[in-house]
Formats: sequence, structure tokens, C-alpha cells
Amino acid sequence: MGIIYFIIRRIITFIPTLLGVLLISYIVAYVIPANPVRAWIGGQRVSDLELLERIKREYYFDRPWYEQFYFLVTSLLTGTLKDPIKNQPVFQELSNRFPVTVELAILGFLFTLIISLPLGILAARFKDTIIDFVVRFLALFGSSMPSFILYYFLILAFFVATKSTYLAGIPNPSVSCINYIDGLPSTLPIPLNYLSYIIVYIGKVPMFGATFCGELNVVYETFFRLWLPALSLGLLSGGFIARILRNSLLDALSSEYILYTKARGLPNLRIWYHAFKNSLIPVVTVLGINFGSLLTGAVIAETVFNIPGIGRYAFESIINLNFPGIIGVTFLFGLVYIIVNLIIDIFYGIIDPRIRYT
Amino acid sequence: MNPIYFVLTSFIELYVFIRSKINEEWPLKNSSKISEWKLMAFAFSQSKIGVFGGLLVTLFVILAIIGPLLAYAKYDYFPVVDNPDYKLLPPNSELEGKRFILGTDWMGRDILNMIFYGIRISVVISFIVIILGVPLGIILGLLSGYLKGHFDEFIMRLTDIFLAFPGLILAIAFASVLPSRIYEFLESNPYIRDFWLWIFALEPEHSPHLAAIFSLMIALALVWWPGYARIVRASTLSISEQVFIEAAKSLGLSKTKILFKHILPNIIAPVLVLITFDLGTVPLLAAALSFLGLGPTEPVPELGRLISYSGSYFPERSWWIVISVGTVLFLLALGWNLLGDSLRDVLDPRTRRAMEFKVGKK
Repeated sequence: MGIIYFIIRRIITFIPTLLGVLLISYIVAYVIPANPVRAWIGGQRVSDLELLERIKREYYFDRPWYEQFYFLVTSLLTGTLKDPIKNQPVFQELSNRFPVTVELAILGFLFTLIISLPLGILAARFKDTIIDFVVRFLALFGSSMPSFILYYFLILAFFVATKSTYLAGIPNPSVSCINYIDGLPSTLPIPLNYLSYIIVYIGKVPMFGATFCGELNVVYETFFRLWLPALSLGLLSGGFIARILRNSLLDALSSEYILYTKARGLPNLRIWYHAFKNSLIPVVTVLGINFGSLLTGAVIAETVFNIPGIGRYAFESIINLNFPGIIGVTFLFGLVYIIVNLIIDIFYGIIDPRIRYT
Repeated sequence: MNPIYFVLTSFIELYVFIRSKINEEWPLKNSSKISEWKLMAFAFSQSKIGVFGGLLVTLFVILAIIGPLLAYAKYDYFPVVDNPDYKLLPPNSELEGKRFILGTDWMGRDILNMIFYGIRISVVISFIVIILGVPLGIILGLLSGYLKGHFDEFIMRLTDIFLAFPGLILAIAFASVLPSRIYEFLESNPYIRDFWLWIFALEPEHSPHLAAIFSLMIALALVWWPGYARIVRASTLSISEQVFIEAAKSLGLSKTKILFKHILPNIIAPVLVLITFDLGTVPLLAAALSFLGLGPTEPVPELGRLISYSGSYFPERSWWIVISVGTVLFLLALGWNLLGDSLRDVLDPRTRRAMEFKVGKK
């Protein structure tokens, strides 16, 4: 029971944070001296003053700032806030773009795990050998390499030279598959109905939707499209995480309970299992933060690899003074931060049963 | 004798000499501190990567100071205007008796020359961001860890709000908002403007770009402090429970004295290590921001912008720009990271005790 109370309490304490995030992003946007409405309908040479006035009224730009803010937040939450440049609801734009970022984040996270976990364990096992040195080098490389330069070189090696990926478009499942998933809740009886809503939301990510319908060629194409950016994201953070795992594994291995298990004569694999499990807390923290930043901050990767994701949308919204877009993106990022932190806390309890949720 | 150790100890001796001129008793009172410093210098001189990183960093700081003096041509002189052949020459090519070791860019400017200017901008940006952001984080962290209660709650919610944003996005937002305000400020204060133009080695007619550089720095500083506030608060919480703080309180010392004289020196080591790492990270982030098109534009020789402009000619006609400028950025960050990696060991008292133990056994 404790964990449910914990989650509810955490969500309630995060509501003010979320509102604060929205308010700060609004204030930052508000102090822009330029006239956003003019920018939306085509710069300084606007002659249609009536249109200008209408848009001003529609977005509450003729009211004081608090009314404007209230309007932005409430209409965002009810889903009626329109992106003035794309002329469709902000929620629509977010739900088109976020799944792409989720795909990239999941693949990037997989690459991070594939790189960091084995290397970290090997570096701890073969301490002060060439493997340890490689991990140290990779960690330093990841934190010293300007990300865009790594991207350029990987594009040079894998796109220009060997053509083993491509850099345009995002594969989607077929229309009938999307319709089938969207129609799922209405075909099922009430209790199963709620379960299928989860499938609808997960199915919005093209890769998962395609898997659900059995369209494996789409999954393959998605991987073929996204493996290079995912690999480069993994390379940038993998070494650092491997090094944290190595240090915390070495700490755990030199502790007294490990000495005790050795004295009892447990097999080697068992000893390592105990040490590994207990060394995971700092690793899970960093992995969680890393996944959160993949879900929100891969702006440069999305720019260089031409991926129409959420980071790109955030960047374009800021540049175009797109207030509704900025507020929508901010809301989404705040949610991601909260959920990722919640998941990290729940993982702590799974790793270490001594941790209690109070 | 190890030359690095010699240099570092002579610095320490110099400092001790100056302090002893002010107050004769100082070296006697602080003799244990001085010997600890010397042990640190020894530990540092023994770590190869630390010495390598330190040398890289020294090289870059010296280049940042004298770089623009080494440059033989102004960054806003475009040879392409006179002779289109200068455009995008590959490395080690010769034209009209001039030799371009690293090639030229799309305006025919020598890349080496641009790098000399660019290093100063990157290094100055990293120092200013740390100077603006870190003290703010340290002070807020100290106060919130020591005072606890409502103030702590407020500051932690504030850091939550800032951390909930991806740093880069928040910096983009600030960097796109700030320039016009800063520009007005700089135009009304010509002395400040000229001073910073001199610092960045820019020409007077490029003062609008100065506002863009400033907005980059302020944006980064604004997203930089929450991390420090968190770390400082956590260490302050554990330190302020200890007996010596209670003793200081019962002696009736003022809060400022307890905070800055008794708590701060005990938590400064991890902060120093973090600062060293961040001095390497800030230039990368600043370059990333100007890569995205925020920050100064043509003709200011910002390294990230050079790369983003050459991206449109990449790879056939501009690989040398990406490689050479990228290497400079990489080495700058690598130097600080290596230094930080070894400082973490040097500043850890356990390493030093282990070292003493080894020497004692011999």
C-alpha cells in the first residue's frame, strides 16, 4: 500500500513545480520585446490590421499577463490551444512529434546500456588493465567530445561512405494498423476498455504500433533509420555510466558482506551477483537522468540527423516566438522530468528492499 | 626532482612568503596546512593524466591570452572579396605566396587565424559562466542547507523547476530573449562595452555581437547554478550536524562566519572538482548553442558557429574546418576533464593518507 501513497503524494507535490515551470517559461517568453503576433502572420510588412487584432484577441494578447497565462494553461489542458504557425492544436503537434523522440530515446538508451553495463563490469573485474583504460578513455571521450562533431563524423562514415542508414523521413505503420489500434477501446467491454487505452497510447509510438500489428518491416526500417543517432547518443553517455558502475562495483566488492560471502565459499558468479545488485543505486540514478535528457534534450542530434522530434519543435517554437508551442513543450518536459524521477525512486525500492516509501 | 612538483611547491613557498610578510606568525600557525598542500602537489605531480591535462589547460589559457596577438590578419578581413580563389582552400595549400596550414573557410580566412581568436572567446565564456553561476549556487546551497525550513523548501522547489527543463532548451530560451536588452545596456555604457570588446578581441563595430555573446553567458550561468546548489546543500546538511559546528555556534560566532569560515572549507573539494569538469563542459555547450544559431553571427570567430557554417559544405569541401576546429574544442574540454579526474584523487584525503603510508613504509 505504501508505494501507492508514495506515488500519489509525489504527484501532488510536483503540481506546484509543474506550474512554476510553466510560469517561468511564460515569463521568459513574455519579456521578449518583439511582437509575437506580427511574427506569426508574416513579419513587419503586415497590412491586414483587422487580422492582427483578431489574433490578438484570440490569444488574449490584449489582456494583462496573468489572464493571458491563465488562458494559455487552461486551454492547453483542455486541448484547445492552437499552434498559430501550424494551425493545429498544440496537443496534436506534440503527439505527432513526441513518439518519434520516444523511439530515438529508447534506442539510444538501449545502446547506452549495451555499451555501459558490460564495459563497467569488465573494467571492475579487470581493474588497472587495458579494459579499465578503455573505459576511462571512453568516459573522457564522451564528456570532452562536442556532440555535433561526433555526429558529423558518424554521418561521414556510415551515411556518405557506406550508405548503411538514411537521413530522411520516419517510418510509420500502415493506415489500417493505426485505425485498428485507435478503434480498439470501442470494440471491447468496459473493464478491458481501460487496458486498451494504454495500448492506444503505446501504439502511438510507430515502432510499438507496428509491432502490435505484426508489421515487422516497419520496425526494421525504424531501426535502420535511427540506429546511427542512437549509437552516437549511446557513445556520448555510455563511457561515463560504465565508469560510475565500475567505481561503485569496486566499492561494493571491497565491503564486508562480500568478504563474508567469500568466506562462506559461495561460487564466484553468486558473489558478483550480490555486489552488482548493491552497486546499482548510483547507476540507476545516472541512467534515469540520462533517459530523461534523451526524452527532452536531444536537440542537436535531432537537428543534425534531421529527425522531426520534440527537441526540434521546442527549438523552432522558441525561435519563432511561438508562445503556445513553448508552453506546450514546457508542460511536456515538466511531466517527463516528474515521471522519470518517480520511476527512479520506484527502482530504488526494487534494488534495495531496505528503502521504504514514506 | 620532478619539475611539476618543483613548480607547484615554489608557488606554495611564494604564497607562504607573502603571507609571512603580512603576518609573521602565519606560517607557524598553518604549518600543517602548508605541508598538506605540498603533499597535494606531490600527489598531483605523480598522476600522469593530471599533469597532461594541466599542461593542456595551461597551453589553452596562454593561447587565450596571447592568441589574438599571434593572429596575422583581422577576423573581419575577407580575402574572397579580392580573389574568389581563396574560398575553402584545403589544408597546406598555397596561394599568392601565402601558406594556409589548416586551409581557409568560405570567406577565405585562414582557419588557424580564426582558431586563435576563437580560443579566447571560448575560454573567456567558460570562466565567466563559472564566475557568475557557481557563487550563486554555492551561496544558495549553503543557506538552504544551513537554515533549513521554508527557505530550504523554496530553494529546492526552485532548483526543481530549473532542473525540470533540459539545460540546453532553457539556455536557448534565455539566449533568444536576452540580446536586445543587453544591447541597449551596452550602448548606454560605452566604457563597459569597450572593456568587453577588448577582452574578446573584437572590433568596435561588432558591438551588437557582444550582446549575443553576453546572452549566451548569462543563459548558461542561469542554468548552471541549480546543480551546485544541490551538491552544496547536501554536503552542508551533513556537515552542519557535526560537533565542531555546534561548538562554533555555542561560542556565539555569527552565521556568516560559521557558513564561510567553517562549513565552506569543508565542502569545497567536490565543488572544485566539479568546477574543473564544468570549465570543460561550458565551451562545448556554448559551441552547441551557437551551432544551433544562437549567439554571435558572422564575422565573429566563435568556434561552434564556424563548424555549423562549414556544415553546409560538409564533407567534400570543408572536412578540414570541422576536423581542426573540432579538435581544438575537444582538446580544450579534454584538458579540463583530465585535470578534474586527477584533482578528484588529489583532493581526496584518503588518497593522500595512503600515499603517506606508502612513503612511510619505504
